[in-house]
Amino acid sequence: MTKFIQELVNGLTQGGLYALVALGYSMVYGVLKLLNFAHGDLYMVGAFIGYFVLQWFGGPTALAIPVPFVILAMFLAAGGGVGALGVAIERFAYRPLRDAPRIAPLITALGVSFLLENTVLLLFGASYRDYNTSAFIPYSTEIRIGGVNIWLVQIMVIVLSVVLMFGLQQLVVRTQLGRQMRAVATDREAAEMLGINVDYTISATFFLGSALAGIAGVMAGLAFNEIYQLMGFILGLKAFTAAVVGGIGSIPGAMLGGFLIGIAEAFITGYISSTFTNLIVFGILIVFMILRPTGLLGRVQLQKV
Amino acid sequence: MKVRISLAAMALTALVAAGCGSSNTTTASSSTTKAASSGGSAQGKCAVSIGIEAPLTGQVAVLGQEQLAFAKLAVQADNQANGTDITLVQGDTQLMPAQATTVTQQFISNSKIVGVVGPAGSQEVEAVGPLFGRAGLAFISGSATNPTLTSSGKNATFFRTVSRDDVQGPEDANFIVTHLHPKALMIVDDQEVYSTGLVSAMTPVFQKAGIKIDHESVSQKVTDFSSLVAKVTPQTTVVVLPWQVAANAQQFGKNLAEQHKNATIVGTDGTYSPSAFTTAGSYVSSFGPDITAIPADASIVTAAKAAFPKFGTFGPPIYAATHVLDEAIASACKSGQPSRSSVLSAVKATDESSSILGQPIKFDSKGDMENAKWFLFKIDKTGKYNLVTGS
Repeated sequence: MTKFIQELVNGLTQGGLYALVALGYSMVYGVLKLLNFAHGDLYMVGAFIGYFVLQWFGGPTALAIPVPFVILAMFLAAGGGVGALGVAIERFAYRPLRDAPRIAPLITALGVSFLLENTVLLLFGASYRDYNTSAFIPYSTEIRIGGVNIWLVQIMVIVLSVVLMFGLQQLVVRTQLGRQMRAVATDREAAEMLGINVDYTISATFFLGSALAGIAGVMAGLAFNEIYQLMGFILGLKAFTAAVVGGIGSIPGAMLGGFLIGIAEAFITGYISSTFTNLIVFGILIVFMILRPTGLLGRVQLQKV
Repeated sequence: MKVRISLAAMALTALVAAGCGSSNTTTASSSTTKAASSGGSAQGKCAVSIGIEAPLTGQVAVLGQEQLAFAKLAVQADNQANGTDITLVQGDTQLMPAQATTVTQQFISNSKIVGVVGPAGSQEVEAVGPLFGRAGLAFISGSATNPTLTSSGKNATFFRTVSRDDVQGPEDANFIVTHLHPKALMIVDDQEVYSTGLVSAMTPVFQKAGIKIDHESVSQKVTDFSSLVAKVTPQTTVVVLPWQVAANAQQFGKNLAEQHKNATIVGTDGTYSPSAFTTAGSYVSSFGPDITAIPADASIVTAAKAAFPKFGTFGPPIYAATHVLDEAIASACKSGQPSRSSVLSAVKATDESSSILGQPIKFDSKGDMENAKWFLFKIDKTGKYNLVTGS
């Protein structure tokens, strides 16, 4: 039972990150029908921004202000910075290709991904950077459930992921911007004819999705310590898998898919073998693509012919 | 149906990208660095090039950049000492055999290149060895340790300045058995030839000692090991990590601490990094020595700290390899413009009484360094690496 709970917590922690990144995939796919393969790298940039904010406040062993304020500053800087970067990428890399065949922005997205990775490599070097979280949030800050010690950072990641996802869902359902986003996602041309500022709406979508990825990057740094320029690549693919499993374009689907993939990974590693983890996870992707391409909560889209 | 097909196409693109981008980033670039400002005759005598194949970008770029820095230092020092005008041509392999093959073909077609340092990984040497052999181009790796690279006879022009897995692996395993006395242990490979080779070399020793083995496998790209650590039982007192990424070993140590588990980590080669892997009580075995503890290397250490402050044990063997090539070129120069064959002959005849590695360098008929050493360090509470044994 102890192992079960431990693996569940591990899966929820990782799954929360997958879900946040999957949301960005899903939102962008929703409005542009584009798989933004640079999205995982935005998560990486967020982790680096958080790291440098941490250093700016004195580093993990000598923080100049209380820890909660530092963490808040890291989230705000990463969310804002990466959100702005996402808007810039959309403006300069994707918008000129908005009416091009869909393969063009897809390839561009891969190019942007490599650009971000190598820019970070060039600017900050190849060395791994260490958040060293336990220096300012000790492992002793934990709660004990069923014989398992759960570190405060893991709890924070899980809770904050759920809160952010719930908040995004409310924004999409209840606000003017959310209605505009749904309208653009449903029919961009019709939305434009109804007076919706499509460019603004798409930019706002990129900002929100990218900001969530940036915040997820900081969470990853806090929970897993080590960050480097390629950290977003495999996570991006896993998040994409989560988005597909949940139903790409669906916000609750991305959440569900993220947690499912995270938990599946943890239990495969814990109860079968780590050797099979990626095999099974990407096998799930293929199975869903074949048997249920709309995912668990996605809807079949009608196509005009 | 259209949605299904297009989404499937995009997913396929993603998977292809995953495959080709395991250490994705740039394509193989070959930029030329003139690593010496002095030396070289006015007539251009001995104005030749050495290629360096290293993972300059990608997952283990930190190791490749260290290797490049040390190769530059060696070329610079040797140009000054020998009056040669050797330049270094860089090739980024990203630790990928396919990428290494492309770079190798570029090097072979560059007639100025008379010898090559690298590549870093055993899997890469496997891929490029026959190509170099056909071109008669000597190549010396400072980190490829798989025994078959020399024992198979496929790589006629291959040399290395490090020990082999079949020396290091069993020695590491014997140390674990006789000094750490585990009843059960976990050994985790990182799904690369280097790592699985060491696991194969260690496992028989553990089996012979009757130790219960949990063999796991995890990608180098994984940065959270909490699920694996959850499998570490109270009886599992040792975790062996033959990995190439030190930061991953550090994270494994943190995951152990997070779950209040007391297993001792034993890492190898790539995990040697006093800046990145500092988990107290852990052991690290390495094919390279700590050159900061070798008095004769003081001037190189000073230069290396300026060029690559956080160097570990991947740079010095490359310095040694580059130095061997530099000396071979200088030797070949004495009888005219050096050619690939004359440099290859000179490399085979290498007989250095001392080196940066604190030992003589001489190759046997297969290209292995004679009496190559390995080193075992223990990390103390301050993160300092203390030599436990070297053989």
